[in-house]
Amino acid sequence: MAKEKETKPMANTVIGSSIVVDGEITGEEPLTILGTVKGKIATAGSVVVEAGATVEADVEGQTVTVSGKLTGNVTASEKLELRPESKMVGNAKAPRIVFADGATFKGNVDMDV
Amino acid sequence: MADIQTVIGVETRVSGEIRGGEDLVVKGRVDGKIQLTHALTVDKGAIVQADVDVKNLVVSGTLVGNIVASESVRLHASARVVGDLASPRVMMESGAAYRGRVDMGDIEAARAAVASRAVARPAASSLASARERPAPPRVGAPPRTAVLAGKAAPRFVAPTAGERPVVASVSPSAPPAFPRVAGAVGGMAPAWAKKKVRRR
Repeated sequence: MAKEKETKPMANTVIGSSIVVDGEITGEEPLTILGTVKGKIATAGSVVVEAGATVEADVEGQTVTVSGKLTGNVTASEKLELRPESKMVGNAKAPRIVFADGATFKGNVDMDV
Repeated sequence: MADIQTVIGVETRVSGEIRGGEDLVVKGRVDGKIQLTHALTVDKGAIVQADVDVKNLVVSGTLVGNIVASESVRLHASARVVGDLASPRVMMESGAAYRGRVDMGDIEAARAAVASRAVARPAASSLASARERPAPPRVGAPPRTAVLAGKAAPRFVAPTAGERPVVASVSPSAPPAFPRVAGAVGGMAPAWAKKKVRRR
């Protein structure tokens, strides 16, 4: 909870901690998720799944940063980052992938090698 | 963390259902359904095409869908709203455009009506549900018209069946009656005219 990035979310779209979105989120701007999203996420900007957030969706974004729980396939055009304490189940596809110490991951990794 | 407001940004579109227990600001677009125990703000430029069930609703943008607000609804001057509205307090600024029914009475009944409509909707996809939006009134309408037609038809049939003998009895008596009256008037008219002429 003492993470610096959480105090200043740069995202234009924020899904709050008590919000549940059941469906599709598409856009051209950064997205921060503190709550729950089920369905599909596709944005040209960054996607941040904050600690405590639950995402059960296929995610497409420029950079995808996971601190919470993510179930689904992730395609990042730039970078996928799994922070400590994060849990991800699904296939990851990105040119750069960062696993922090403590991150939990299950699935395939595709870095276009 | 709790201070962070939920925002659907200008360049973001959500199709599906949003529900939760905090304030929501829509600056972009939402298609589907919004259910909150707090306030929903539809900012200027935002488009919301959804059934809305919230506590407080503030609209500066465009909102299409049925609205249930348990506390209040405020339509600002730039608001464009189409849909039935149920809330105990409704405020509309000068310039706000609204089309639909307003119910400031029984909110639970309106909520139940919206819920029953929503039950049929999730089966279809979000796009299909948007296309089907005109359907619920149509689905509701045919039974009403059928009931009306069912009631109206006997009403029309019964009077005509009953009137036929009346008409038949009146029509023979009427033609002789008119000539008689006409003749009487025709006979009287010159007399009155003569009297008037005499008086003048």
